[in-house]
Amino acid sequence: MFKALADPTRRQVLQLLRQGPKSAGELAEHFPVSKPTMSAHFAVLREAGLVDSAKQGKTIMYRLKMSVLEEALMEFSELLGLNLAQRAGRTSGHVTLRKASTK
Amino acid sequence: MILKRTSFAAALAVLILGTAAALNYAQGLDLIGADAAKRTMQVMIGLILAAYSNLMPKDVGRWRASAVAVARAQSARRVGGWSMTLAGLAYAGLWAFAPLAFADVAAMAVVASAMLITMGYGGWTLLACRSKQTTAS
Repeated sequence: MFKALADPTRRQVLQLLRQGPKSAGELAEHFPVSKPTMSAHFAVLREAGLVDSAKQGKTIMYRLKMSVLEEALMEFSELLGLNLAQRAGRTSGHVTLRKASTK
Repeated sequence: MILKRTSFAAALAVLILGTAAALNYAQGLDLIGADAAKRTMQVMIGLILAAYSNLMPKDVGRWRASAVAVARAQSARRVGGWSMTLAGLAYAGLWAFAPLAFADVAAMAVVASAMLITMGYGGWTLLACRSKQTTAS
């Protein structure tokens, strides 16, 4: 869960999902990253249990699934501008992303 | 899932009853006063309320046909979760640190306000969803 919240892109995805459920495409529009990278971010969030997804037709819809504590932790890390992903990326984070994006 | 929830609730009930019995026993032995026993129980109740409410927004339920309905249900759960969690923490804090007479009234008022916010917002959300459905049809 901490790893999922450490990345600013993933935190921004969660912020967007606060407004309501969104499709993978709608979410991806907000970020200048490739689709596989975005899918990898979604996979990390799903594995951490912070989002819930459902296939509706051809699109995958995502919605927020965060406890109060998880949301408070996200706000806290956002407030402090923590960018632990860059540090973690040098070790295990990027490995996970690469693995997920090659699936 | 249901079994997990039930066993968690049963374990919690055992913990509450066990703590109450232990506090009563300690009080009988003059190890603690009646006030301390009461405060301990109330703090525990407040923390349990906060712990349960913390999970309220995570219990997302089934997907609905309309994205608006999903968004409204999500916001109702978030408002309820936040208000009840904060109320639980305030309840525990009041019982831990405030004078007993004040804590007695203020803690109840805090939880009652949070319940009103939760039910009021939930009801308003439900009505808004229904009126939108009626307008659409």
